[in-house]
Amino acid sequence: MDPVLLVSALGLCTLGTLAILSATRSPESPSGLLSARLAHLAGGMVLLGVCAALPLETFRRVAKGLYGLSLALLLLVDLAGHERLGAQRWLQLGPLSFQPSELAKLSVILLLSDALARQTTPPRTLGAVMGRCLWVLPALVLVFLQPDLGTTLVFLAIVLGMLFAVGTPLRTLAGLVGMGLAVMPVVWRWLKPYQQKRLLVFLDPSLDPLGAGYHLIQSKIAIGSGQVWGKGLFQGTQNTLQFLPMQHTDFVFAVIGEELGFVGAIGVLGLFWVYLIRGLQAAQRAPDAFGRLVGVGIVAMVGFHVLVNVGMTVGVMPVTGIPLPFLSYGGSALLANLAATGILLNLGRRRGWSGP
Amino acid sequence: MRLPGEEQLEGSARMAALAAVLTGALGLLGLRLWQLQVLQGAYYDQLAQGNRLRINRLAAPRGLILDRRGTPLVTNRPSFSVALLPMALRDRGGVLEVLSRVLGTPTGELREKLRGAPPFALVRIQRDVGIRILTTLEERRTDLQGVAVIADPLRSYPHGPLAAHVLGYLGEISGSELQHLRWWGYEMGDLIGKAGVERQYDRLLRGEDGEQVVEVDAAGRPLRVLRQREGRPGNTVVLTLDLRLQEAAERALGARPGAVVAMDPRTGEILAMASWPSYDPNLFAVGISPEVWRRIADDPRTPLLNRAIAAAYEPGSVFKVVTGLAALHTSAADARSTFFCSGSFLLGGRVFRDLRAHGRVTFRSGVAQSCNVMFWQLGLRVGATHLARMARSLGFGERTGVDLPGEVEGIVPTLEYKQQVFGEPWYPGDTLNMAIGQGFTLVTPLQVARMMAAVANGGQVLQPRLLRSVLSPEGRVLYTSGPVVRRRLSLSPQAWAAIREGLVAVVEEGTGRAAAVAGLSVAGKTGSAETPRGRPHAWFAGYAPADDPRLVVVVSVEHGARGGIAAAPIARRVIQTWQQLYAPTDRTAGHP
Repeated sequence: MDPVLLVSALGLCTLGTLAILSATRSPESPSGLLSARLAHLAGGMVLLGVCAALPLETFRRVAKGLYGLSLALLLLVDLAGHERLGAQRWLQLGPLSFQPSELAKLSVILLLSDALARQTTPPRTLGAVMGRCLWVLPALVLVFLQPDLGTTLVFLAIVLGMLFAVGTPLRTLAGLVGMGLAVMPVVWRWLKPYQQKRLLVFLDPSLDPLGAGYHLIQSKIAIGSGQVWGKGLFQGTQNTLQFLPMQHTDFVFAVIGEELGFVGAIGVLGLFWVYLIRGLQAAQRAPDAFGRLVGVGIVAMVGFHVLVNVGMTVGVMPVTGIPLPFLSYGGSALLANLAATGILLNLGRRRGWSGP
Repeated sequence: MRLPGEEQLEGSARMAALAAVLTGALGLLGLRLWQLQVLQGAYYDQLAQGNRLRINRLAAPRGLILDRRGTPLVTNRPSFSVALLPMALRDRGGVLEVLSRVLGTPTGELREKLRGAPPFALVRIQRDVGIRILTTLEERRTDLQGVAVIADPLRSYPHGPLAAHVLGYLGEISGSELQHLRWWGYEMGDLIGKAGVERQYDRLLRGEDGEQVVEVDAAGRPLRVLRQREGRPGNTVVLTLDLRLQEAAERALGARPGAVVAMDPRTGEILAMASWPSYDPNLFAVGISPEVWRRIADDPRTPLLNRAIAAAYEPGSVFKVVTGLAALHTSAADARSTFFCSGSFLLGGRVFRDLRAHGRVTFRSGVAQSCNVMFWQLGLRVGATHLARMARSLGFGERTGVDLPGEVEGIVPTLEYKQQVFGEPWYPGDTLNMAIGQGFTLVTPLQVARMMAAVANGGQVLQPRLLRSVLSPEGRVLYTSGPVVRRRLSLSPQAWAAIREGLVAVVEEGTGRAAAVAGLSVAGKTGSAETPRGRPHAWFAGYAPADDPRLVVVVSVEHGARGGIAAAPIARRVIQTWQQLYAPTDRTAGHP
């Protein structure tokens, strides 16, 4: 068990909770979305404990089942999902809404780890890689069709990260990326016009200046105006005047940047750095190849989320709808990330007493 | 399972590489934060504290709609709208109350419009406000923070109800439309075509809005315009309509419920399409009030219905053209056939009565006199199946494909149709009814025009068209439409000659004399279609000049009783106008 890893995750959760409170409170509802956030957090902590305590083998055994469930749910979303902000990503279960792609990310990590760990040598050729990764394709396609380009890229980052860690030659990885680029024109023709437009906006936000482009300008103003020490918690003017749309979800980092300044923003990046490095170390301490791979997959997933989301709020990455782990408001993502943290803690557990 | 030592080593090297990549990337983000917050922090702070950016949409004028000669049918005029910027509304309740008094709109309605609006988007709450309201708003400026007046080009229909059903009207985009169209750049509060050409060609007509990035102070007052991108006006749509012929058609139809279609049988271009009762699309231009909307939509005379394409009528005797063609095609008759009409027809113990005893008739005089007995005989000889087949070949029972929304298919009955809908077998009496256009057959005036055009042009079943060309805002031709032949009907030259001779005789000496025009040979067919709902519908369908057809005219008058009396004179006036407009100029251009 690595207390530093746990503390960094909890620190991030705490900062996120404060930022959400600041972003969503208003004179009419002084606590905003706080109670829902705390409920998600409590559920997530239970999940974290369970994932840290289960025998590692259990994850391996349930990998296929979880993946099958994810596929079914993703299919359900594509067919009957709840539309928000122009994309179908949520399933509505009474008062609860659930985002199956979060479960899908974890189950893909588990499934792929199992598949790669069965081999003694890394897949060296493109063919071998394709053979090993074929199972990921259905999830990838279903998420892509939602359409959720951001999460699709997360899947690709996970796969590339794990293949890299397992020792796949760089040449092969480059070939894989090249192949992905090569099929784009084919995929393009399959898309509906509105999906094509979304992809174009992703590549060039200025196509949608009042949507994505607007967020970008406002996000940069919010973060920049925080200067070194920030305007103080709950004192952000850009945030409280609601210049920033969706400031509690995808742009939560802008709230931190404005209210806690450079110090706070660097602090968040620092906590993520600690989390990711400790995560890699936990992976290295894992008892077997499966565990190592799971650890790398989780680090790749969280790391990619952080780079793309923060990069977006500071205007160096295109605007895609992927949340900042532990900080963004969103129950499914928080549960998934805390479960993933539980698994990382599990990997780094001292196992001297558990068998030969 | 333990990996071989070498790969184990490579594995940890790769872990180190992953750590380095993550560290490097996070470091770069840290540097970017340093740049934004430390180096440029003061600049952004200034933007955030004293000044803010606001992006206004500059509505682009919608494209014009012209008739075939370039006369404007739909234009724009300047107007002002009152809008709210929710973000800048400090004292929401107070502002809404003042605004409610000035505009005369209940505050509840204003609140409703603001519901769910993004804080940074201007929400139009009243369009086309008058100068009195504008000055009042200006006087009370200080009480009305967050209220803006914006210039909006407004749709204008200079000819009022003229061609209203073709042109259509605008309305605010609905939730379900928005879902489909958001990714084409449509936004909440947009006006969008709801009917007619405005709807059919909305994407061509709507321009691309511009934007204005304005720096505003803490109170939301604009300080200066930082950047402005002009919008692009919509394209101009040129229709095949001729305004002068459209006017003539509507004037001739007068205040009788019904429709007039004038079409060029060579190309399928619609020269006029009238439908009465009509409405004034200007009423819709500013967002119609619920009362006015209800008055129009609930009117039992259905003024919103385009009777030329969206109403299906019993065709009556104009359908005899189909029966005649089927008979000629199947050799059940030819130009030399003769028939005897005693004034009634006995079938299976039932007596079917004609209007009068025509005595011995030829095919030509049978058509001219619209002799039921002759067509009953022809119908029985041909059979219901072949009648239906010929009707379908001429485009009945299917949409014509005209470029207008809301077209209906009509009905061509078959044996199966009757069995399915009425649960009864087809009787020979049904064939008799069908042969004279009674019974189950339902057609739209436009379908009849298309059939007449096919007779006039020798069998080309055309797709009727309203779009002639599309021009860019600068006047460049982007698209020019051409004839579309949906189907070709091949009949012997003798068959075409026989039916045309009959149709000429209708106007020269038969039931359609009221459609005759001096100096022009006109062919046509009248109809009086019995309907279960009142007096018969009156029909006239014809073309001119008979020897070189360039105009098809179809008139249907609901419950107008006699085609020759109620419908043919309307057609005559349309043909006369066409003659004045086109015949002389064409003659100088070398046409006979």
